[in-house]
Amino acid sequence: MLAEALPVVAEVKGNLGSVAYGLAAIGPGIGVGIIFGQGVQAIARQPELTNVIRQNMLLGFALTEALALIGFVVPFVHK
Amino acid sequence: MSAPHLLASGSGDEFEAPGLEIFHWGPLFPDGPSWLHWLTKPTLIVGLCAILVVLFAWRAFAGAKLVPRGVQNVGEVAYLFVRDQVARPMLGKDGDRWMPFLFSTFFFILFMNWMGVVPVLYLPVNSHIAFPIVFAICVYLMMLFLGIKNQGLVGYFKNMMFPPGLPKALYVILAPIELLSNLILRPFTHSVRLFANMFAGHLLLAFFASVAYWFLVEKLTVLGAGVGVVGFLMTIVMTGFELFIQALQAFIFTLLAASYIQSGLHADH
Amino acid sequence: MVRPAMSEEGHRPDPQESEDSEQDRIDSEHRGFANAAWSIPSYILSGMAVYGGLGWLLDRWLGTSALLPIGILVGLALALYLVFHRYGRTS
Repeated sequence: MLAEALPVVAEVKGNLGSVAYGLAAIGPGIGVGIIFGQGVQAIARQPELTNVIRQNMLLGFALTEALALIGFVVPFVHK
Repeated sequence: MSAPHLLASGSGDEFEAPGLEIFHWGPLFPDGPSWLHWLTKPTLIVGLCAILVVLFAWRAFAGAKLVPRGVQNVGEVAYLFVRDQVARPMLGKDGDRWMPFLFSTFFFILFMNWMGVVPVLYLPVNSHIAFPIVFAICVYLMMLFLGIKNQGLVGYFKNMMFPPGLPKALYVILAPIELLSNLILRPFTHSVRLFANMFAGHLLLAFFASVAYWFLVEKLTVLGAGVGVVGFLMTIVMTGFELFIQALQAFIFTLLAASYIQSGLHADH
Repeated sequence: MVRPAMSEEGHRPDPQESEDSEQDRIDSEHRGFANAAWSIPSYILSGMAVYGGLGWLLDRWLGTSALLPIGILVGLALALYLVFHRYGRTS
């Protein structure tokens, strides 16, 4: 049905895993950008809190990066 | 294979995006003697880059004067950049001792990357994973050697695998993660960062360039001309963007090399 | 507390030296941050690889199919714990 309505959809060729990773990398990409952008802004506003802000940046970065890497391994799991 | 084989990739009536075949370069002289078959386009460019780095350093630093002139100005700015942005922040007091290695690594990789936007050559050599992996393995072996020399064989692996302050039982679970991360994935991610950026960038440039060529030269139609113009403009924008990314990746590679050398020199706390 | 005058006059730090050590402190903090930021992806990947691989082997041995995703998630959690422990402390 979907293929009839949208003939383009039926023509997605190549490795679907890489397409999925491309889609999965959008969210973490935005997230990492927000984390470091806001972190730098926070350090610029309150330089005396640099250490605390850096730590929280790292923790947020680790959590966000984990999502990107889940997207990387999921194609290996669901073959 | 020659350069136009890229542009002629869509031989049919439909546009075909360039694929992996743009990275496959056979011998430059396939009809020449068989001992010359190692000479492909990437090896030629690597040799060219090595000569360029040597020439650059020679012109800049041989017979340096107190009041710099000509190339020496550029060389001193470049040296200060590597020293103040890479060596001293990452290595601290040991930074100046490692400058020759870091400087030549940075500029060798930078020139190899920039070959991707030099007309006629148009191939960032690091888009073949063999080259970044050799660099990464050099840094990796150096890191292992320095670590074992400065911290002792047992001490090095102990510092690496057992971060202090964890409950004893967790070490059994976490030590394999540390070991795999530090010994195997480190050189892997180190080289793949450079490789993937160059690979994707080259593919992107080739895609937009072939879109422009196909829609403006090969199959010029009224409707297609707009797409072709967009492709042409994107080629120019992406070339500028690639220049930046290539310099950035060379910088990051050198930064990580310095960081790994530092982790061999001193245990991290 | 006992001899307050002593601490004021006893060791007056050389200004040059204190500037150097201040710069060293900033450098070493910066280094720690950069090292951490660059090594986080490889920690997470190796956590998933170790325990996902274990789950995959167990799957093949026991003939199940659920242990690989479970192993990956467990490895992810352990790697995140390791990262938080290593870099999340207040220095």
